[in-house]
Amino acid sequence: MLNIMLVCSAGMSTSLLVNKMNKMGRERGLDLKVFAVAEADVDGYKDQVDIILLGPQVRYLLPKMKEKMEEKNIPVDVINTVDYGTMNGERVLEHALSLLGK
Amino acid sequence: MGRVQEVLRALKILQKEKKEGVSATDIGKLLYIDRSNVSRYLNILYREGYLEKIEGRPVLYRLKPGKKDLEDKKSRRSRNSLDKLVGADQSLSLAIEKAKAAILYPPKGLHTLILGETGVGKSMFAELMYYFALENKVISEEAPFIRFNCADYAHNQNLLTGQIFGVKKGTYTGATEDRDGLLKKADGGFIFLDEIHRLSPQGQEMLFTYIDNGFFRPLGETEKLEFVDVRIIAATTENPKSNLLRTFTRRIPMTITLPSLKDRSLSERYSFIETFIKEESHRIGRSIYINKNAIISYLLYSCPNNIGQLKSDIQLACAKAYLNYRSDNTEYILITQGDLPNHVKKGIMKVNQYRKEIEELLNINYEVLKFSQYEEPPLLLEEDKYTSEDFYNNIEKKLKSLKDMGMDGQEINEIINIDIESHFEKYLGDISHQLKRSEVASIVEQGILELVEEILILAEQELNKKFNENIYFALSLHLDRSIKRLRQGESIYNPKLNSIRINYEKEFLFAMRIAKLIDQSFQIEIPVDEIGYLAMFFAAESYDEDKAEKPKVGVLVIMHGDTTASSMVNVANNLIGTNHAIGLDMPLDMKIETMYKIAKKKVLEVDQGEGVILLVDMGSLTSFGHMIEEETGIKIKTIDSASTPIVLEVLRKAIVGYSIDEILDSFQKKYTYEFRENVEKEEVKNLILVACLTGDGASKKLQAILKSKTKNEDIEIFTINIIDKINLEKRLYKLKDKYNILTIISTIPIEVTWTPVFSGLDIIMDKNLHKIEELLEENRICLQVAQSLEKHLSNIRAYPLVKEVRYLIYEIQNKLNIFLDLDVKVGIILHICFLIDNLIRGNSSREFEEIIDYERNYSREMAYLKELFLDLELKYNINIGKNEIAYILKLFLANKLVCNIP
Repeated sequence: MLNIMLVCSAGMSTSLLVNKMNKMGRERGLDLKVFAVAEADVDGYKDQVDIILLGPQVRYLLPKMKEKMEEKNIPVDVINTVDYGTMNGERVLEHALSLLGK
Repeated sequence: MGRVQEVLRALKILQKEKKEGVSATDIGKLLYIDRSNVSRYLNILYREGYLEKIEGRPVLYRLKPGKKDLEDKKSRRSRNSLDKLVGADQSLSLAIEKAKAAILYPPKGLHTLILGETGVGKSMFAELMYYFALENKVISEEAPFIRFNCADYAHNQNLLTGQIFGVKKGTYTGATEDRDGLLKKADGGFIFLDEIHRLSPQGQEMLFTYIDNGFFRPLGETEKLEFVDVRIIAATTENPKSNLLRTFTRRIPMTITLPSLKDRSLSERYSFIETFIKEESHRIGRSIYINKNAIISYLLYSCPNNIGQLKSDIQLACAKAYLNYRSDNTEYILITQGDLPNHVKKGIMKVNQYRKEIEELLNINYEVLKFSQYEEPPLLLEEDKYTSEDFYNNIEKKLKSLKDMGMDGQEINEIINIDIESHFEKYLGDISHQLKRSEVASIVEQGILELVEEILILAEQELNKKFNENIYFALSLHLDRSIKRLRQGESIYNPKLNSIRINYEKEFLFAMRIAKLIDQSFQIEIPVDEIGYLAMFFAAESYDEDKAEKPKVGVLVIMHGDTTASSMVNVANNLIGTNHAIGLDMPLDMKIETMYKIAKKKVLEVDQGEGVILLVDMGSLTSFGHMIEEETGIKIKTIDSASTPIVLEVLRKAIVGYSIDEILDSFQKKYTYEFRENVEKEEVKNLILVACLTGDGASKKLQAILKSKTKNEDIEIFTINIIDKINLEKRLYKLKDKYNILTIISTIPIEVTWTPVFSGLDIIMDKNLHKIEELLEENRICLQVAQSLEKHLSNIRAYPLVKEVRYLIYEIQNKLNIFLDLDVKVGIILHICFLIDNLIRGNSSREFEEIIDYERNYSREMAYLKELFLDLELKYNINIGKNEIAYILKLFLANKLVCNIP
């Protein structure tokens, strides 16, 4: 199963996107789980994920996070602004899959 | 007669012996001037066709046979040259009479001291005395005229005295051989000693010895006396009453004082201007035209360094006009007001004082005066330090090479302008930084820029304040538009006319005078409504000062409890950054009468004439207002059940300058605020606001530009008139509430923190347009965000919310001085929108990690944010807690750090 983790501040703005992405995954018959965490909780989950996507407002985490995840070979990226702003689950999911090479 | 003639004279004398030709060095030795300078003068004479050049080393020069001798020509023309001096029959008549007496006084004339300020023409006067002596044959035809400036050697008195009197070998280090002094070289003729006051007492004594006895002793000479026959003309700028000078006036028999330029008549001054422009015209070989206002400026400006400065100020303008002529390929060399150095421009301000004289002097019917190169080419009186033919040649050369490099006219113009200015800078000190006039000039009618410049110079003087480029630009466009309107017979209406008259009386009176100027220039009649608008321009810059100085409504908070009122007031004052609000604590054991007395005293203290707002909690305190008002006559309004946010709001408005009624009004509305107004609307209209003083002139141009930029967008361009600041704020508030305002483009500076503001000038000049593009892009994305949110938010409409949040983010950015990228902004917008939706649903955020520390470390920033969120809190009836504030603050601060690492 593919674990996709979204990170934003206080988990305020991502829950909707998470729902949409999970729904999209189900529709496509993909075995995946998308979930969102707040910045402060990232460390607790980092061993259970395959990819990490950041909300544009927390993109300052990117360098640190990339460094942390490099040895595990887990991709980290910032979600496209328009996709994030319009909560476009499909596009964000595709983005994640393409980063994973799928 | 300047150096050129001296050189020619010297050449003539030397050629008698050196038939094959004379070198620059020969002449230099004779005249005691630098060889390279001599070469320059020889070149001038050669170019003018007086000399033949024999190539070789050194280059030799010879009088051109057959060519009428320059000197004959000059001396013929300059017969009685003293009498031809400007003002000879006016302010100089006494000086000339004395000069002639000094020369003709038997048997050998009188030594003379010339007094006068810098630049009055002392050195020229001395030369003319010499020529007068020649003309009257009191000295021989070969008699020399030697000039020497004592200031040149003032740092070394030995050398200075040695130069004049000669040195015996070994007198001091460096005196390696016997050397004759200038006094000996001048034998039979004249020596002109400028800045004589720089001579040491020893040198003075030697000079006086010569004056009294007719002999002197070179430095170091103990035996031999030198007898010479030299007439001394000394000159100094020293105050004639100074001690130093008293010695000179006592020992030198004739004293002549030359008047300062300011003591000479306007017609004399006009003659100078005429002469100098003609000289330039002659140099350039073309007629020079000069705008009448420019001539008037030259006639009237304050010119402390006298004729010398006048000349150099004229040369600067000629050079600029020449440059325009060459690079823009205009038909004439025209000097306009804009070509003058700034300090000269100010001359026009005195025009009213001298109107009559000027009308008599100038032919008032002509707007432009012509000075022809052909009418009596003036004597090149002196080779200038600053301008010569070479200078114009340099412009030509530079122009050509820049053109060859493929630069366009505008750039070339700028580059060479810098050259010209730095060329003159040494002399002029402050040289105007040219406004980018040409850019505005392409938009407005001809003549407007000059007029506006003139107006602003006048305004600076009369109203005693500085105006910036924006006003210059705004006024130009405004006038352009108004004049067109008036010509087309359209009317101009100014709804604020009466209030302008009362509040800006000084500016209004000034505008009335200006209106007359405009009437004359454009043959129109400016109506009083338009005068009101003009007054606003002159008042515009003082808005901000007004705000600070204007009396404000007092804010007095009285509460039960030992510290309630004072702590509330503390918070409010701190947040707003003032100490305007006053708190009075009423301990529970205090008698109400005591409190009343204290309150009344405080009201009297804080009232600035605008009334006082009492903010109280409850009970008998609520009745204080009426009682104090009756007793003191001070207007008082009371707000009960006050809380910190209410105190904050009242204080903010009071500081901004709202009246007491306005504060109460807005305040009551605010608290009955519900979000019904926006709920009904599907979408919010997108606006770009154009703000200008009249809602007319400049805005039309800006509208056109913005329209073309927003062709494919659903954006309207709205123009508002920003005639008074207080109403402006209210109107903007309303507009901001109703519409989605992307940006404000304003022709004068305005203080708005919730949306970006751009200068109209920049936009017209194509600056910052990329920022407008960015804003449009941001707006497109935000609209998409709102559209998508609209489906997901349960309790609120997304469009107004996104709009509000964008304003808020702007304010936070300004307050924290952190400016975020579009991506980050969109993320934060989403964050805040969901936050508000959650709060309305009664969910609160999770706790912020280590909130206590964070709050302590960022207490100021937290307080700012809290204040800025007040509007949203009231609007959506929610409470945004410190955890939420901390999260948002962190987003700003953390992203700032990232932005700093590129």
